[in-house]
Formats: sequence, C-alpha cells, structure tokens
Amino acid sequence: MKKTIAGLVVAGALIAILAPGCTSRPNEEELKQLEDLKAEVTSLDREISAKESEKSALARAVADKNAKLAQCEKEKALVTERIKGM
Amino acid sequence: MKFVHRLLLISALLLVSAAGIFAQEMTKEDWQKQINEYTAKRNDLRSKLSTLQAEVDKLKTEDADKAAAVKKCNEELLALVGANAAAEQAFAARLDQIDSKLNELSRLSNQDLWARKGELDNVQKMIDDARKDKLSTLPKNYDRIREQQNRLDALRNALASADLTKTYTVGTWAKDRDCLWNIAKKPSIYDNAFLWPKIWQGNRDQIKNPDVIKPGQKLKVPVKGDLTKEEKAAVRSYWSKKQAAAAPAAKPAAPEKK
Repeated sequence: MKKTIAGLVVAGALIAILAPGCTSRPNEEELKQLEDLKAEVTSLDREISAKESEKSALARAVADKNAKLAQCEKEKALVTERIKGM
Repeated sequence: MKFVHRLLLISALLLVSAAGIFAQEMTKEDWQKQINEYTAKRNDLRSKLSTLQAEVDKLKTEDADKAAAVKKCNEELLALVGANAAAEQAFAARLDQIDSKLNELSRLSNQDLWARKGELDNVQKMIDDARKDKLSTLPKNYDRIREQQNRLDALRNALASADLTKTYTVGTWAKDRDCLWNIAKKPSIYDNAFLWPKIWQGNRDQIKNPDVIKPGQKLKVPVKGDLTKEEKAAVRSYWSKKQAAAAPAAKPAAPEKK
C-alpha cells in the first residue's frame, strides 16, 4: 500500500516537472514587445494628463480675456456717456 | 523503508516548487491577452490625445484672437478720450501727485493741518483740473479721482469738527515771566513772539489791555497761522494808542506863560 502511494507521489512530481515544459510560452522578443507596449501606454497617460492641464489653463485664459473684453465694451459705453456730459 | 521516505519527501518538494514555477510563468495565451488589452488601451489613448491636441490648438487660436480683440478695444477706449498710452501715463502721474499730497496732509495733526489748510484748496484745484481732462472719464481714473475727493472731504470734515483750541494758564511774572509776547514765543505755543495778537484777539472777553494779564487766567490759544486782517488792525490800534499815551510824557511840558 505504502509503495503504491509512494509511486503515485513520484509520478505526480514527475508530471509537475515535465508538464510546464510542454506548455507554449512567449519568447523574449514577445515579452519585450509587451513591455514596450506597457511603457507606451504609461507615456501616453502622462501626455494626456499634461495636455488636459494645458487645455484647462487655456480655457481659463480665454474666459479671462472674454471677461476683459466684456468689461472693455462696457467701459467704452460708459466713457462715451461721460464725455457727452462734460 | 528509509529510502521510500526520502523519495517521498524529495518528490513532494519537487511538486511544490514545480507548481510555483508553473504559476509564475506566463503562458502564450496570457501574453496574447495582455497584448490585445494594452494595444486596445494604447489605441484608445492615442485617439484621446489626438482629440485633446485638436482642442488645445483650437483654444490657442481662440486665446490669441481674444488677446487681439482686448488690445483693439483698449485702443478704441483711449481713442475715445483722444489720448495715447503716453498721455495716459502722464495723467496717472498727475493723480499720483494728488495722492502723494493727500498722504502728506493726512499724516498731519489737526493743528498742523489747520496751519496748512491753504494746501487743501490747492489739492481741490488739482482734482478739479484733473476732472476737466477727458482721461478722467476712464473708469480707473474716474474711480481714483472720486476716491481722492472723498479723502480730501474727510480731511476738511476732520478739520471742521476738531477742537483746535489749546489753553494756557498764565503763570506769575516773577517766576514765569508771562506776558502775551513771552507766551507766544514759547515753543509749545507759537514759537513766534510776533503772533501774540492772536492770543489777545482770541481772548477779548478777558483781556481788555494786552499789557495786563493775571496769574491763573486760562487763555485760549487759537490755531497757529498768519495774523488775520482783524488781528493786524488790533495791533496797529494798540501801538498807536501806546504811542499817543507815551507822547505827552516823552515831551516835556511846555512852561506856562506868565
């Protein structure tokens, strides 16, 4: 009985050692391709984040200029009126 | 028997380590799955970046256009008042001058301000002149001038409501040598003996003869300043009376004719 168990365990161990060798694995070139792809994704993430910041800053600048323009138009009307009253 | 035990132990160890190695290593299937996943993510990000770039470019153009529009509007605003940037700067310098004068006057005590109250009128003239300039209609100048006028009015009000009258209690001649001349000469009063008529005229209710003041008398000390017309007239009258009084005594009486 003990011999049978021992035989099974040894057979199992041999299968465990030999089985991975039969499974298909990516080669080094393919692994590098995956790493490069991951790096590109990380880099794109960073670029997008920077671009979004730039977009926000530009949107604020445009809004600021719009306000200045509206103020200037208002001032023009006010000055015209004051000059008439001088 | 021992051999069987050892074999079992080694086999079990091999089984465990092989399982670990097997679990860590990537299969081709996993690799393909990750490649597909990251490729899709990259394509998605590239597309997003491209959209963002287009939006940023559009915003840059819009920002430049708005900047030009603001510049043009400001130029038109200056043209309305018939001025250019240099004239605007010169006008700002005039307003700076008014501010500086107001700052100087604001630092004075009420007594000193009273003595220089003529300068308040000068500042008022500067403000009025500035108001006549079309540049004063520009909101930033308009508000600034209004603020200056408020400050000037506040100074005038402070002067009007301040109790500017000091008092001085007359000491004895023996100890203090107090007479109107000497009192006016004191640095704490006018530091100028020639202003004594101010004290006299400010205390007509209790000084009938300026040569006679009594110890213990509380005299009002009017604000320092040039003698007014009335004060000058009072001095002239004082000296002419004094001369008239001294004349008969100075001239020896003519001997009586027999």
